[in-house]
Amino acid sequence: MLIINCPYCGPRDQSEFSNGGEAHVKRPDGSKEIGDREWGEYVFIRANPKGLFYERWVHTHGCRKWFNCVRDTSTDEILVTYKLDEKKPNLNNFKSVVKTPSGEPEVGSGNFTVEK
Amino acid sequence: MKSINLKENQFIQFHQKISFKFDGVKYFGYKGDTIASALLRNNINLVGRSFKYHRPRGIYTCGIEEPNALVQIISEYSEPNTRATIKKIYEGMEIESQNRWPSLENDFGSINNLFSPIFTAGFYYKTFMGPHKKFWKNLYEPLIRRAAGLGKPPKDFKGISNHIHHNVDVTIIGGGLNGLLAAKSFINSNYDVLLIDFEEQLGGIINNSNKISLIDNKEPKDWLKETIQEIEGSKNIKILKNTLVTTYNYINHLIAIEDRFVGSKPIEGKVNSTLHKIRTGHTILCNGHIERFLSFQNNDLPGIMLSSSFEKYMCRYGLAPSKEPVIFSNNSNSNSLVYSLIKAGLKPKAYIDSRSGEEIEPNLFELIRKNDVPLYTNSQIKGAFGNKKIEKILVEDSSGALNEIKCDCLCLSGGINPDVHLFTQSKGLLDWDEKDLTYKPSKPFQPTITLGSASGQFNFDNLNSDINEKFKTFKVKKLDVKLELNTNTKYNIEKLWEVSPQKKSLWAKSFIDLQNDVTTKDIRQAITEGFDRIEHLKRYTTNSMGTDQGKISSINALGIVSDLLDKKVNEVGTTIYRPPYAPLSFSAIAGRNCYEFYDPERKSPIHSWHLKNGAIFEDVGQWKRPWYFQINKDESMHDAVQRESKNVRENAGILDGSTLGKIEIKGEDALEFMNLIYTNSFTKMKQGSARYALMLGEDGMVKDDGIICKISDQHFIATTTTGGAATVLGCMEEYAQTEWPNLKVFMNSITEQYATFNISGPKTREIMKKAFPNINFSNEWFPFMTFQFHEFNGVPIRILRASFTGELGYEIYIPSNSAPKIWDNIQSVGKEFGLAPYGTEAMHLLRAEKGYIIVGQDTDGSITPIDLGLSWMIGKSKKDFLGKRSLTRSDTIREDRKQLVGIIPSNKADKLEEGQHIILDKEIKSPVPMLGHITSCYYSSTLGHDFALAVIKNGHSMIGTKAYASTSSMSTTGVDIVKPVFYDEDNKRLIS
Repeated sequence: MLIINCPYCGPRDQSEFSNGGEAHVKRPDGSKEIGDREWGEYVFIRANPKGLFYERWVHTHGCRKWFNCVRDTSTDEILVTYKLDEKKPNLNNFKSVVKTPSGEPEVGSGNFTVEK
Repeated sequence: MKSINLKENQFIQFHQKISFKFDGVKYFGYKGDTIASALLRNNINLVGRSFKYHRPRGIYTCGIEEPNALVQIISEYSEPNTRATIKKIYEGMEIESQNRWPSLENDFGSINNLFSPIFTAGFYYKTFMGPHKKFWKNLYEPLIRRAAGLGKPPKDFKGISNHIHHNVDVTIIGGGLNGLLAAKSFINSNYDVLLIDFEEQLGGIINNSNKISLIDNKEPKDWLKETIQEIEGSKNIKILKNTLVTTYNYINHLIAIEDRFVGSKPIEGKVNSTLHKIRTGHTILCNGHIERFLSFQNNDLPGIMLSSSFEKYMCRYGLAPSKEPVIFSNNSNSNSLVYSLIKAGLKPKAYIDSRSGEEIEPNLFELIRKNDVPLYTNSQIKGAFGNKKIEKILVEDSSGALNEIKCDCLCLSGGINPDVHLFTQSKGLLDWDEKDLTYKPSKPFQPTITLGSASGQFNFDNLNSDINEKFKTFKVKKLDVKLELNTNTKYNIEKLWEVSPQKKSLWAKSFIDLQNDVTTKDIRQAITEGFDRIEHLKRYTTNSMGTDQGKISSINALGIVSDLLDKKVNEVGTTIYRPPYAPLSFSAIAGRNCYEFYDPERKSPIHSWHLKNGAIFEDVGQWKRPWYFQINKDESMHDAVQRESKNVRENAGILDGSTLGKIEIKGEDALEFMNLIYTNSFTKMKQGSARYALMLGEDGMVKDDGIICKISDQHFIATTTTGGAATVLGCMEEYAQTEWPNLKVFMNSITEQYATFNISGPKTREIMKKAFPNINFSNEWFPFMTFQFHEFNGVPIRILRASFTGELGYEIYIPSNSAPKIWDNIQSVGKEFGLAPYGTEAMHLLRAEKGYIIVGQDTDGSITPIDLGLSWMIGKSKKDFLGKRSLTRSDTIREDRKQLVGIIPSNKADKLEEGQHIILDKEIKSPVPMLGHITSCYYSSTLGHDFALAVIKNGHSMIGTKAYASTSSMSTTGVDIVKPVFYDEDNKRLIS
């Protein structure tokens, strides 16, 4: 269970929040001509990296405000949360600490053998 | 095995006898006894039958790691798989052994042991393949389930548990020597500290063994008492006893389970257990170590026990399970057992050590010499033998000669492991220690500190410096504790995982996992078959997959595998330890969220009237809605629905529509916002008028529908489906915040603030006139799809002329508190016109006759407005709205999309069913190309036959043609594809 720092309410239990997928995906401007590919990518395509990820969350059982964050998907750690109108932080400011799949131990994990 | 009571013990009240029943026979124990210690006191060691081979099994340990002694507590809702080694007895307790029939002594299933050579690893996978798939489900699985397994599930479970949340700076897990020292450091500091111990008494190793002789020049007992008093007196430290930490999650989130009835019967209706959810800044793991066993032939016989467990029975329970046990060890941890036995005036029958004489600790050597204990160095036990209990062992001594020793108890020690379960759950990294032959915590992933043997420090010499060093980050005083030991030794171990049997036999078994009946042979076979990765091997053999997670044996398995593969143990790796550390009951996890508290029930303001008037309810989301109203107990649902719907068509009916979602939208830019959210255009709509509207997802699929009332360009009220209310509000909020933050608009749910009555039928106007005499309901004053605000007896109400049944209809919106009164009034004035309530089922029938869809029934997230034939609802001149661009995607403009049509049976007497497939051919010849399926289907007494709505490929152009509906009996019913409207196509009744 994570603790998420709502930019409006402060740190709260994960159970109060809902995840909204990738952040900073721009909705194409409806007043202009939108190509099939551009629209298709907006509707269907989302990134799913291992490591640092811009993500949207909403404080559903709280202030009901949407906000953005940077989450390390390999450890689930939320490194920073920020309001929608704030500039997105540079990912180079953070380090993704764990190199292994889903954060399993580097040594002593049965998922892979340490190569000599 | 003949046990004796040791005279004095601070934890057992020898003056307080307790009677309990085991398999129907009455026995006595003492207050403070666990089931295991009480049974051992009565010289009972056969307590269960094993999982697969039904072999007799006894008590192997004295704690949470127990693999064998699992029992069913009959007197506690028949709680299964309880560890006899931790559950305390109480007066009148009833216990049963598990997995045996007809009795523990004579178990029919033990025949499996005879066939055991064929029940090897992968037996089920390889054997139960044929002759037909059905054999598994109908024959093999039920048989295997009956034969294998542990306890039976409880039948009538009433355990109550609650949840408590903690938010602390430091959590110390384990109240043994290191846990107490850690807590002592925090006394009267500025940290909020939680000290958790699984047992009733704090002290751990101090209580469980005779390893320590003096602490700060005091008797350990006295030091313990003083220290606990000091800790208890400190306001910043809270102690949780009888509490087991089962889970260590991310962000230092711990879950612990507290047993509220230790040594007494749980009281029905009282909280039996408490689940603690702990959020902590730092976690200090002082949860000690676990001794492992050794593999040799018949190492599962009752009478075999871990040596530290034997010592724990002596120290904690004042009980020596045997007067003269044989000890077999490969390490120095069992030294203190020899010391304890001799101190109690007992003597081991023999001491067998795989280590050579030079490696054995001098003071142990001396102790053994002095007391004339037969000593076998460089020796190994080749096997244990006996009928349902250990009777003799075969020892191979240093010269290779075999010696037979008669004995009734064998104490084993294969070395000790730090209890790393919680540490690895927290994602900390382990490292193999080649000297101590065990995995030890190395890199923590969270703010986790390990102390003492939990950190792999099996010696006591660095006690102070280790704690002081690791506590540098805390502002606490430094420790300076002086420790003296009885067996002054450094931990020393020689590699030994298993001893091969003397004679090779198909029936010879050396177990590696006692709970799941996995033998060392199974491991060999799995590796031969190619399962050489440890996670594969674990799943193929089921090694360490029991409820004990192989606590005493999993490291041994790694050792054996590493030898077989000729790899280092670190290269083999460990399997992942997963929460929970020990099983906890579902009731504890559920807490109070069960029975009536499982999910909130939402009820309309008219609910009590429905109850009084024969309503049968239907769950719609969390709402309870009247499904239909029975006029008497004998009326069937079909009759009630037909009666209700007929009454609406002929007279008038009233539906409680209060559960409909209602959202109020306000703001300078409300009009623009509504135009963006819904497909319809609201710009030219007059104030005071209403419109049926659709909401799409960005993929162009219908997500919800409802009626939008326009009060002004700055103020709208939208209704949503009952189930979609929260989603629609959430969607509006999301877009208002994320995509169009420039729009000045606010929205709020008013679902529960207003009750809604839907009155419809040809006589509705008469009833409305009578119920609200000051309102003009004429067509001119109150046309279809308009609404008006009025005041009735001081209550502000809103009346909307709309209909979901196809008849003349009004929807009345009333503040919830005033609703029951107005409902009653309408009922009484409506009587003379034949007004009757109708439920959701009749409503579904009536709307289907008109071809009105229900989102979620006739649509499934893959249907566009065009598919529904609702293109007229799309505001094509609008620049943008949710999903607009998707309506011209290549997929949504495909010609063969499934489209909404009406279906009637060609032969009017034929029946149709929801879910039937529509196909083109009369004969069913597989594969059958499927056109689509029936989404709604009813019998209509107005039409006099069945009719249905369906979505079928290219349906709009198929209207007027014939097709077939497949039935479950592989035959077909001829159907006509028609327009999806069956009643009053010109809407004459609507606007009458």
